[in-house]
Amino acid sequence: MSLSKIKTLAFGLSTMLAIGTAGGATAEVLRVGMECTYAPFNYKTADGELAGYDVDVANGVAELIGADIEFVCQEWDGMIPSLLANKFDLIIASMSITEKRMKKIDFSGPYRFSTGQILGAKSTEANLFDSDGKPIPKNFDGLKVGLERATTYQSWFDDILPGADIVLYDGSEPLYLDLQNGRVDLIMTNPMKAHLKFLSKENGAGFEFKGPVVDEEKYFGIGVGIGLRQGEDELKGRLNGALKTLINSGELETYARKIFPFKLHKDEWGQ
Amino acid sequence: MDALIGWWDDYFWGAVIVGKVFLCSLSLMITFGLLGAMAKLSNSRIAQNLAGIYTVVFRGTPPILIILLFYFGSAITLTAIAQIIDPEIKFVDVPPFWAGTIAIAVLVGSYATETFRGAFLGVNPGSIEAARALGMSNLQTFIYVRIPEMWRLALPPFGNHMLSLIKDTALISIIGLNETMFVAKQAITVTGQPFTMYIVVGAIYLGFSTVVTVVVMGVEKFGERTTVGAL
Repeated sequence: MSLSKIKTLAFGLSTMLAIGTAGGATAEVLRVGMECTYAPFNYKTADGELAGYDVDVANGVAELIGADIEFVCQEWDGMIPSLLANKFDLIIASMSITEKRMKKIDFSGPYRFSTGQILGAKSTEANLFDSDGKPIPKNFDGLKVGLERATTYQSWFDDILPGADIVLYDGSEPLYLDLQNGRVDLIMTNPMKAHLKFLSKENGAGFEFKGPVVDEEKYFGIGVGIGLRQGEDELKGRLNGALKTLINSGELETYARKIFPFKLHKDEWGQ
Repeated sequence: MDALIGWWDDYFWGAVIVGKVFLCSLSLMITFGLLGAMAKLSNSRIAQNLAGIYTVVFRGTPPILIILLFYFGSAITLTAIAQIIDPEIKFVDVPPFWAGTIAIAVLVGSYATETFRGAFLGVNPGSIEAARALGMSNLQTFIYVRIPEMWRLALPPFGNHMLSLIKDTALISIIGLNETMFVAKQAITVTGQPFTMYIVVGAIYLGFSTVVTVVVMGVEKFGERTTVGAL
């Protein structure tokens, strides 16, 4: 079979497959991966519109670098494999910039704080942290802790409290459900989301934060960034430029203030 | 039920996707099943062994694993092949719809292979002898004698395969297909009402499987119309 015939064949296949070629005259299209089920950061409203802080950041950045954007909904577990398999070009999904992830993918600068905090029922009486904010391992004995799989919270527990009784979940909703069901006693999760979607609601009335906000850089990184494949430094440079513009113009703060009464970034990230 | 306001249209389109996946994978599943059964019954050792490997592998591995392998594996493999032909190509992607549809069709097709094989073997040897005696060719025997007897035998287990196929469509949500299960997850994160949202998904699947069951029953009746009362 000649080369041109193979090419024709490959072209025919493209009715079923999406084949992307480098370059081209049309505007640059960036495919952005996110969970679409992580309110208030990235989620679909009843009208079918994607909304949330991550979505705003994605649209803001795309406008500044002059790219068109396509959103791809992807479960958390497969987020990095999908980026590497070229299912999309960027991860804008509240993903913290950690050393572990940097081994596989690259990140832009941060655009949101990355923190964790432990939640439990008000009736659960345990002194989990000492006065310096350090966890007391033996006080975790007999308590089941729910965590999302492949998250910063899981890495933190694996290293800091290796003896803890951990139950892993896919996605944050089952985590909150099982905390309410009593199948786990504690969960560690994003405190901003926990406050907005749970503690301030009827379901969350019997629950409270059980310790200080944890943000050790080794586990939580310097913050949440945009993930991209390694070696795409030109794109990374443009993303960083755009994020800085969003921070310095105050645009990023308006995204946060749609949801929370405070901003979610440090101004020094804009320098 | 207030929580469902605004989500009905999403569920409807999700159900449409379930239906599309079902129809596409059904036709592929029948194809794979027939090819597999013919290979198993052929005189070729190679074809027999290939079909044997096919049924062992796909009946012996979890559906979710197969779907993930098809989705991630296909993109990486196809991209590598495409880049050999044309280095300009940045990526070749199989969309979740086709990756998922083919994965569950291949999977359930491995069960259908055994069903069809058994049904072909169940065709009455006397009927075939009679066809020969009447001077029918092999092809004519296949079309007018084997197939009409075989599908009646295959139908009850085949109905079960169709139900498996329907239910396996729910697994495709993990590779990001916007079907009803995925709609439910999206609705839960906004409304915080998992039970309502999952019950709707359950009702949609029950609807689909009821239709399949009723159709299979009807076809069975049709198949028996000439044999009822006969020995």
